[in-house]
Amino acid sequence: MKGVFKVYEHQGTGLMRLDPRPKIIAAAALSLVCLQSGVPFLVLATLAAAAVAAGARLGPRRLFSAVRPALPFIVVIFVLHAFSVQGDLPRYFGVGPVRMTREGLFEGIILAWRFSLLVLAGFLLLATTPAASLTSGMERLLRPVRALGISSHDLALMVTLALRLIPTLKDEVESLRHAEMARGADFAAGGILARGRAFSGLALPLSLALFRRCDRLVAAMHARAYDGGPRTDLHELSLFARDRVIIVLSVLAGLASFFV
Amino acid sequence: MIRIEDLSHRFQGAQSPVLESLSLVLGEGEYVALIGPNGCGKTTLVKHLNGLLMPTAGVVSVDGMSTGDKRRITEIRCRVGMIFQDPDHQIVGMTVEEDVAFGPGNLRLAPREIRARVDRALEAVGLAGLRHRHPHSLSGGEKQLLALAGVLAMDPRYLVLDEPLSSLDHASRTRVLDLVKVLKEKGITVIHVTHDMDEVARADRIVVMDKGRIVADDAPSRIFSRVEWLKALGLAPPYPADLAWRLRCRGADIGAHVLTMEQAVNAICALRQTGGIEERFEEKRIDEGGL
Repeated sequence: MKGVFKVYEHQGTGLMRLDPRPKIIAAAALSLVCLQSGVPFLVLATLAAAAVAAGARLGPRRLFSAVRPALPFIVVIFVLHAFSVQGDLPRYFGVGPVRMTREGLFEGIILAWRFSLLVLAGFLLLATTPAASLTSGMERLLRPVRALGISSHDLALMVTLALRLIPTLKDEVESLRHAEMARGADFAAGGILARGRAFSGLALPLSLALFRRCDRLVAAMHARAYDGGPRTDLHELSLFARDRVIIVLSVLAGLASFFV
Repeated sequence: MIRIEDLSHRFQGAQSPVLESLSLVLGEGEYVALIGPNGCGKTTLVKHLNGLLMPTAGVVSVDGMSTGDKRRITEIRCRVGMIFQDPDHQIVGMTVEEDVAFGPGNLRLAPREIRARVDRALEAVGLAGLRHRHPHSLSGGEKQLLALAGVLAMDPRYLVLDEPLSSLDHASRTRVLDLVKVLKEKGITVIHVTHDMDEVARADRIVVMDKGRIVADDAPSRIFSRVEWLKALGLAPPYPADLAWRLRCRGADIGAHVLTMEQAVNAICALRQTGGIEERFEEKRIDEGGL
């Protein structure tokens, strides 16, 4: 829950001032490459990601902390592949029927690599882009969906508000929890089931509080002349030659990932 | 000028109206305090000033534009800025400057113009140094200053404060109030809903509401001289005015103009010099001696 908005820290590097659109497209292309390209292309993508991380002054420690939440998942994937893929058995590893094959080991490493890079692609985008700029970039990129009757402006505002409400929601849960604790509720006792039940008691008051909050927020938005539909933004989005180059390269890389 | 004529409002399904044929004129550059016991309809009334609520009967017009006119509602909401009680319920942006930019963005201004307004508003409230911060990380006082900046970026002529200071500590409260005073001196009309009588004493004019009606509309000194009537309404005069009233009840020669601590001190010192209070102190001392 902490992730999304704690990731970005304003540092004022050039990367952070870059138009969000090429960044979003590049992250999408990097994800495609992670998911379906062969090893040589994967190496290139890793180098590109490393260059971005260096440009954003994100050290190995920050990068590792981004991957850490996904680590159990990555380990499971690695183990499953390492021990299940058929192939030559290396002599030095294996207990009983559970044997690690050379092919399995190789495949496991590649998959773990792919997933780590995928997580990093998202992290790099979030860490170099202020949320506001991210949503305005999304809004621009999604404008074509207006043909389907969806307003990308409203969609972008919705995402912003959702992100904005997360810390508030957290506070709300905390204060409700304390209010229940003050009246004798125990959230720490018992097994997972008992604790889950204690927390489920918060659901109703929490929803009520949220509806009330949203009502007031909507009134405050209307008071500031919000009326749905198109809005303008503080950040002027303008693509420079550099941005166009990044977009073209990213699209090419994304397309190439289907074949290489 | 905001003109309220014969305004009534009844919430859907409610038995009795919240506001009942209420009329009021708020002039340019005034500082009007709106007071009254809980549930008297203050918040309902101010929500009519920018068309957040529509009259069940009657008309509210801002500079000649009726709030019922859908085409003028954006213009009205630009002119009438509103700050609410809980700062957390009015922050939209992910960063301080983004939040201030929300209003101008709704007016579809060019990014350059938005930037200029955001910078000006943040400068005015003294938050320019925090522009990239997440609003959630600000203190309560800073959040209300942020809300004020968001309103100032709309270039309002009227500023409605709906108890925005009730959750703030003394220092933040003073900071916001001083800023409001500066804005008032620049010609912005202030309509301030509050329970805090020291805040009320800053106003040029006080409107007292009870049960959906206006029961008094006068200068602070006139309102606060009716101490017993205020108390019957469940309101209390500012502490210095209460003190002056109690002294007056005991026969001391203190005028009804005492509203602030400063004025109270001056009045009491004046009493001492004219000997109006000396005698009583003397008597008291003799009494104590007798015991």
